[in-house]
Amino acid sequence: MRLKRTGFGWLLLSPTLLLLGLFGVFPFLYVVWVSFHEWNPFAANPEKVFNWANNYRALVFDRGFLASLGVTLAFVFFAVSSQVILGYLLAQAFMRDFPGKAFFRTIHTLPLIMAPIIVGSVWKLMTTPSIGIIPYLLRNTVGFDLNIGTSALAAFVITVIMDVWHWTPLVTLSLIAALVSLPPDPFEQAQIDGADRWQIFRHITLPMIAPALIATVFIRLMDAMRTVDEVLMLTGGGPGSATRFLGVHIFKEVFPRTNYGYGSAVSVIVLYLTIVVCWLLYVGLIAPRTTRR
Amino acid sequence: MTYLSRAGALALAMGLTGLSSPALADFWSDAGANYQGVVLRGVTESTPPSNYIKDVLAPQFEAATGIKVEIETTSWDQMYDKAIKDMEAGTGIYDMVYIEQDIIYAYLARNFLVDITQALADKPELKAPTFDEGKFTSFANYFKDANGHLFGVPMEAFIKLYLYRKDLFEDPAIQAAFKEKTGRDLKPATTHEEYTAIADFFTEYGKENGLELWGSTAQAHTGHPASWYEFFESVAPTFGVWNWGIDANNNYAATVANGGKMNSDEAKAALKWWLHLRDVGPPESAQSTWTEVATTFAAGRAAQGLVYGENAAWIASDPNQSKVVGKVGFALPPTAPGVMEAAEAGTGYIGYYDGGAFGVPVTSKNREAALLFLQFIGQDEVQADWAVAAPRITNTATYDDPKIAEMDAKLGGYYTMLRDQGRLFAGAPPYPFHAQLRGALEPIFFDILTGKIGPDEGLDAMAAKTEEELTALGYRK
Repeated sequence: MRLKRTGFGWLLLSPTLLLLGLFGVFPFLYVVWVSFHEWNPFAANPEKVFNWANNYRALVFDRGFLASLGVTLAFVFFAVSSQVILGYLLAQAFMRDFPGKAFFRTIHTLPLIMAPIIVGSVWKLMTTPSIGIIPYLLRNTVGFDLNIGTSALAAFVITVIMDVWHWTPLVTLSLIAALVSLPPDPFEQAQIDGADRWQIFRHITLPMIAPALIATVFIRLMDAMRTVDEVLMLTGGGPGSATRFLGVHIFKEVFPRTNYGYGSAVSVIVLYLTIVVCWLLYVGLIAPRTTRR
Repeated sequence: MTYLSRAGALALAMGLTGLSSPALADFWSDAGANYQGVVLRGVTESTPPSNYIKDVLAPQFEAATGIKVEIETTSWDQMYDKAIKDMEAGTGIYDMVYIEQDIIYAYLARNFLVDITQALADKPELKAPTFDEGKFTSFANYFKDANGHLFGVPMEAFIKLYLYRKDLFEDPAIQAAFKEKTGRDLKPATTHEEYTAIADFFTEYGKENGLELWGSTAQAHTGHPASWYEFFESVAPTFGVWNWGIDANNNYAATVANGGKMNSDEAKAALKWWLHLRDVGPPESAQSTWTEVATTFAAGRAAQGLVYGENAAWIASDPNQSKVVGKVGFALPPTAPGVMEAAEAGTGYIGYYDGGAFGVPVTSKNREAALLFLQFIGQDEVQADWAVAAPRITNTATYDDPKIAEMDAKLGGYYTMLRDQGRLFAGAPPYPFHAQLRGALEPIFFDILTGKIGPDEGLDAMAAKTEEELTALGYRK
């Protein structure tokens, strides 16, 4: 009976497992396999040549990759932390009643439904010196000439702002869901005990929304680590390599240069790094809580 | 002529039309009869000529043959990505792919494309009576192999010209101010020094008069390959640095030490000249690809510039898109001493002959139907309207069409220049590693553009990197 039930369960799961295997596991294993080859179809020898771990060894000394890694980590830190702070503030704002709340809550989620490539195009239009509204306003209000084609810092900051604009609503929605599910009792008890707003936030709200917050941070972190479309459209990775994030770096290696072997190795390493960063976050934020219990 | 003879002539004309039209119409419907139910799929860059194929020629072909055609127009890099992956993996999704002139050598090296000449010779029943390879302009030679066999039907061809604002150059007050400042007459530049003097003058003039006007365009994006192309295919050749400064006959040497010219004095002078133009150009120059350069000129923000021909036409003639209609003059790019003579002699060139063709991947599952479509778009009959809608000429007969003569007048003689002086320009060098080498050099090139390294040091590094990369790719021994 138990065996029968188990068999039926596997039968129900099989379509999902099949799809997962076909579109998830198999491509991943293929990328790992390719990463151990030298393969450029437009080289004099277009065939795959097994080269052990040479691609991985080359990565360690590749200044382009290391620069790309550094700028990506900075991007992830600024973008995700800004999104979490802003997302929380917006979620708290939407927990209160104010005129037009439903309208603003709908409007603020609109960036989420835009394709990244369109977001990049829109921000490109907004930041082009001749026609963009942002350089125009900055020049006419504070006398600052914004040119993301020449200023590395400006380009980096604008890519962070663009990502924050695009993805903060996701954080807001997740946190609204977490906040509305909180029971009122602990908050009432804390107020009776004379706790101030910061203490309530620090000792009650934050621990209670932590699971949702951490899940959201993980999602955003993984997305930010592999940002490509928006940045490629906005800056092309420039000026120079100021915004050549890992996703852009991989794109340029794999697509225009058709450097499939090396590009696959970079992809595998980026996946590994993403897992490591998430693990560190897990160890730092979730494990202590579990241990305390 | 009497009424009777007029009626007779009319009847004769109608009779001949009645006899000839069905004959032509019959070929397409007869040929298409074997491929009913076939859906041809093509991928191309979203440009006016490609959009004309999608919107006009594909429906015409469908009506004539009953073969359905779906043309996917997308961005330049997406188009390559999709086409190359399809051909590489042999999936056969696409029956037709756009082949830009600079990638044909890579495609031929990988045997990606169907030999059109051979395929039509092998299946004479597929050969359309109105299709003749001999009628293409010399641009078709870029799509032929060593045996003269055609691998792509040319569908667009342009030269990158020197555009200048006629209204500004002919303004007596500006002419006087220019003369006073430089001691020269204001006329389209033929040398780099003249071009720089004009650029500096107009940037200063714009500043002094509170105008949104600068001396020159510059396709100098700091993160897009467009800047790389402008330098190596449009600027460096005018200084006598051809084929990207690489000597294919000398083991692909790029450094001066090994016999190349990528880091030669001429290349360094060219780069400094261009960087100066970028500096006196509009602020958007550092974010400009070929498209933005065109919109900058069309918006009246530059007095002169090097502009791709496909854009030059609408800038000069389309009031819906351009503020400078009727104010645009065309000239040959300025050159260093000896370069024009080399171009005349066929040993060098003065700029970029750009364009592309439609080819059939060997992986196509509908090869024969695709060959019919390629012949359809290659016939003289469709060329004139196509050239008017999306200025491009690939067939010699198109020049003589009255519609084109009228268009040529509107464009200030652009087509005449294309016909008579197109031979001074050249397409990209015949290397099968364009994107691979460009991708390897771009980081250094972009660092030069952002000032992270100097132009001299940067070109030295690029030349050395070129030899290193070509060795890694197996081309340099």
